[in-house]
Amino acid sequence: MKILTNLLRSGVAALAIASAAGAAHAQTVDVPLIESGSSLLYPLFNAWVASYSASHTGADITTTSTGSGAGIAQSIKGLVQIGASDAYMSDALVKANPTMMSIPLAISSQAVNFNLPGISHLNLSGPILAGIYEGKITQWNDPAIVAANPGVSLPNHVIIPVHRLDGSGDTFIFTQYLSASDAGWASTLKYGTSVSWPAIAGEIGAKGNSGMLSAAAANPYSIAYIGISFANKAASSGLGQAALLNKAGQYVLPTDETITAAAESVANTTPADERISMIFAEGANAYPIVNYEYAIVNSHQPAAAIASAMHDFLTWAINEGSSPSFMKPVHFLPLPPAVKALSQAQIDKLQ
Amino acid sequence: MQIRPFRLSVLSLSLLIPAALVAVVLFLVVYSGQAMLFNGLHFIFNINWNLGDLYSDPVTVNGISVPPGANYGILVFIVGTLLSSFIAILIAVPLSVGSAIFLAEAVPHRIRPVLSMLVELVAVVPSVVFGLWGIAVLVPFIGHYLSPTGNGYGLLASAIVLALMVTPIIASTLLDALMQVPKENRESAFALGATHFEVVSKAMMPMVRTTLIGGIVLALGRALGETMAVLMVSGGGINILPDSPFAPISTIASFIVSQLDSAEADPTNMSVRTLSELALVLFLITLTVNATAKLLTSGALNVRKRQS
Repeated sequence: MKILTNLLRSGVAALAIASAAGAAHAQTVDVPLIESGSSLLYPLFNAWVASYSASHTGADITTTSTGSGAGIAQSIKGLVQIGASDAYMSDALVKANPTMMSIPLAISSQAVNFNLPGISHLNLSGPILAGIYEGKITQWNDPAIVAANPGVSLPNHVIIPVHRLDGSGDTFIFTQYLSASDAGWASTLKYGTSVSWPAIAGEIGAKGNSGMLSAAAANPYSIAYIGISFANKAASSGLGQAALLNKAGQYVLPTDETITAAAESVANTTPADERISMIFAEGANAYPIVNYEYAIVNSHQPAAAIASAMHDFLTWAINEGSSPSFMKPVHFLPLPPAVKALSQAQIDKLQ
Repeated sequence: MQIRPFRLSVLSLSLLIPAALVAVVLFLVVYSGQAMLFNGLHFIFNINWNLGDLYSDPVTVNGISVPPGANYGILVFIVGTLLSSFIAILIAVPLSVGSAIFLAEAVPHRIRPVLSMLVELVAVVPSVVFGLWGIAVLVPFIGHYLSPTGNGYGLLASAIVLALMVTPIIASTLLDALMQVPKENRESAFALGATHFEVVSKAMMPMVRTTLIGGIVLALGRALGETMAVLMVSGGGINILPDSPFAPISTIASFIVSQLDSAEADPTNMSVRTLSELALVLFLITLTVNATAKLLTSGALNVRKRQS
């Protein structure tokens, strides 16, 4: 299998070099690239590739939606050129694969949605959510929730927590928020694309963001964490969006302003390898569940033609690709200028 | 000795299928070897599943590198698989026996082919379609009218979806056999003054009993391994054994699919190896079920020949 892919790849590279040498004028090199990974990033990549291929003759990029974990794993193995992931690579994986890079392309966030008949505004905090998902807070009129929502009459009803049962970047950033804001969660359940969910009577495991949405919509008194791309559908299904307690002690809703505030507070501290969590960021108005969407790529490509094709595409993606016409439909935001410069520096390392 | 090219070529072709099976099993055994060492046998009786902290540096346990906190208990998934499949069979058998008898005995000749074709059509509906139906119709129904907590996802929803998927398998197998019961048996029972019910229950059903068991085994095989439809309606319960029909469950097949993506981010690869071991367990379960059924009825094999 490996020999086959290597053979294929070198054949493809040779062809590409030959065609590049033949064409004297500047034109995008004809190298097939494969993108695979995060289902959250997939719609954006699809829109990007359609537009990029139209304006760049010879561009040949295939997009597939598999999952963030698969995106990282296949990119490391060299089966795909661009792995898409909602989470950056772990220290252990970077140590084992030092040439792999995690390059932010855009900014996403996540809403905590609730299905409470008659209630449209709700304040929640990391410790409250941790309590709900640990099974310690089981009623909507629990003193902790009442204290966070003065003046709201909360129902005396059991809470139905909904979580993702498939591995997901959404679970990753949600549990990162709980770990960052609740010491108990940080010491026991930690964070990951799947966690060992404590057993709670009446809880629901749902598949995919669409499964989360239908489970929350079908079950009054439920609570669910859903990627921001689904915000419009969640609203039309009658789900409320919770205001979450940020590090500065403010309850904030996920809006363009609060997500940008979080991104900007992290922009100047983002390290050169850009593996940093934007969860629970500083800033009075910063929304606490915000993350970079990553391209996982190997800086050492087997052929210069492949590296240059990837370089062209990724550079285009963080510049032209960050216009509102691409970002608005999926509710993503473009990278702040400081982070864009860091991403460009990483893209320039491709060889 | 005479060389027989025909026999040789057919022999080698026929060996390909068992060879592929052996290759898959060998791969699973070799690949999950390290997981077997780490998990031992007690992981079958452990209900706690934890991939561990995949984002910290791995730790070494008994000389094997694993993510910190990793603990793989699979009892919940074994129980979920067996319970959902057996309840599905309990629901499916009366349904399919009833519909097969109806099609064989009570339907006018001209409509029978149409109806029996419809039953067979249900057998080829992709499982994701059943899953969608489960989410859109069945789960809200159970939540509204049956479940005390208002939550429709879980054991019962999985079992009903599975039952609908396997009913046409049993029904069409049984129908074929009922149609082949000799006319003489049927008519002589009538001649002896038996009622229609007695003809079916005393003269016909005993003759197709082995066929029925064979059909159930085929159905059980499909139910045990079904992935997508169950994943969509099971509620994905982990770390807890189901205590009611409305409790969330996970089956082995659906659990492997749901965990694989996260497992691939494991730098030690132990999660993927354990999932391979879990796949091996599922393989053993289906093998045991099939072997038991073969022992119960040696004639069950004939069913498939007749059906094709």
